[in-house]
Amino acid sequence: MGYVPVKGGTQAIEASIKRLTYERLKGQEILEINTILATMSSMIDQVMSESSLYSPELAALAIKQGEGSLEEAVFLMRAHRSTLPRHYYSETVEAETMLVERRISASFKDIPGGQLLGATYDYTHRLLDFRLLEESMETNRRWLEDYKSNFSAIQGSKEVVYFPKVVDYLREEGLFETYNPDNTAPTDVTKKSLQFPTTRSARLQVMTRGQTGAVTSFGYASLRGYGQVHPTVGEVRVGKIPIYTIHLNEVDQEPEDQFYIGEIRITEVESFVPVTVKNDNNKDELEFEIGYGACYGQNETKAIAMSILDQCLEHPNTDFPTHDEEFVLLHIDSVESTGFISHLKLPHYVTFQSKLDSIRQVKKEVQEVES
Amino acid sequence: MKRRKRTEILIQGDGSLAKALAVSITQKYECREVSVPEQGMIMVKMRESAKNSLFYMGEVLITEAKVEISGKIGTGLLVGMDEQRATHLAIIDAAYKAQLPEAADWEHQLLEEEKKIRMAKAQQQAELFETKVSFETMEV
Repeated sequence: MGYVPVKGGTQAIEASIKRLTYERLKGQEILEINTILATMSSMIDQVMSESSLYSPELAALAIKQGEGSLEEAVFLMRAHRSTLPRHYYSETVEAETMLVERRISASFKDIPGGQLLGATYDYTHRLLDFRLLEESMETNRRWLEDYKSNFSAIQGSKEVVYFPKVVDYLREEGLFETYNPDNTAPTDVTKKSLQFPTTRSARLQVMTRGQTGAVTSFGYASLRGYGQVHPTVGEVRVGKIPIYTIHLNEVDQEPEDQFYIGEIRITEVESFVPVTVKNDNNKDELEFEIGYGACYGQNETKAIAMSILDQCLEHPNTDFPTHDEEFVLLHIDSVESTGFISHLKLPHYVTFQSKLDSIRQVKKEVQEVES
Repeated sequence: MKRRKRTEILIQGDGSLAKALAVSITQKYECREVSVPEQGMIMVKMRESAKNSLFYMGEVLITEAKVEISGKIGTGLLVGMDEQRATHLAIIDAAYKAQLPEAADWEHQLLEEEKKIRMAKAQQQAELFETKVSFETMEV
């Protein structure tokens, strides 16, 4: 079969793009970016995390442009990211610098500093709130005033409290292994394609920018028997971390010469995973290892699932798909997976014709043999 | 005041102090824009707490501005999209680098602003502590 180039879709494509605009505008309502920023924080967090670009404003714009499709919004953000210069790397962010908004442990009820619920859906009834159908600015303003008035008698201390990590407390007791700071330069998967076997830093970077649904599903699969990790959550914390960087051209910089550039909100998780090891007397002994998860914004399910997968991939085992780094890391990226699946709907005329030709040829040969 | 502490105060505050300090310089000295404020990214490097190793968390959108005052180039950097504030920060940075006499007088204002920021943060945290769990052991 010869190769036949065709054309003719240009006008239809232009009309289709116009139709897309029509579908967005026909309801004659305008969704303001500020409305998305103020009321859709979980969606913004998810888009920032999956696109690996922290910018609530750009994420809100992408959500608006993509008409609420997270797949489209993440694609738009990644595309925009590729147009931006990246001159700076931050100084290492140490987790203890987080200004915590929420911090819970499923392992201990009494943790140093206490359990801080912050804002969470965890204890809400999942019943549709029909009052939201008739929400008014005036009612909301009164609610806010009332809420704030509860705090008028509260006298804050003069100093801000930074919480220690639950795991540090356990390490001090000798219950968990202590690791010296490892300052090996991390792999950057945005600069160099993944090579297998990967490094720990590459795995964590791919997972933190993974699609929430995919990371969650693979983490769940591990719990259900397609993996060997079933952790207890040691600590989930949500809060803001400060970012510092150094000047690009100044030499002999002291830490005090660094730039503070602002803060970002993240979720961080340590999961405690029981493992059996041989002790000095060659007897089985129970020990705990830690699975780590972190992502932009408040996305606790993703961060917990990431901590499970982190532990899975620290123990490669080809018997279980969730312990296979190629299986996990090559299938959780939103743009890669949605891009590859959706390319299937683009013209494959030549490929498909070639397959049809093969089938016709085989059938013809079978008929000739039979006759 | 060194840059680390100064930028903490000027960015965590509401922006009015940065504006006031920058205006006090531009009214008196010639200020040349080295490059127009531009958006870019910074890659965030984090230490994970399982093995204490480093990894890249992702990129953060930043705005960067550069100005020149008395032959010294100042840089303004901050998370987000705010060209005006980045320019104010760059002017203040240049003022410190050029050792302008005005910059020496800013210490008191900056320390006062720092106190306000700290108190506001502590108050917000105290409000958040209302969600702290108080466990009671039940009789069985």
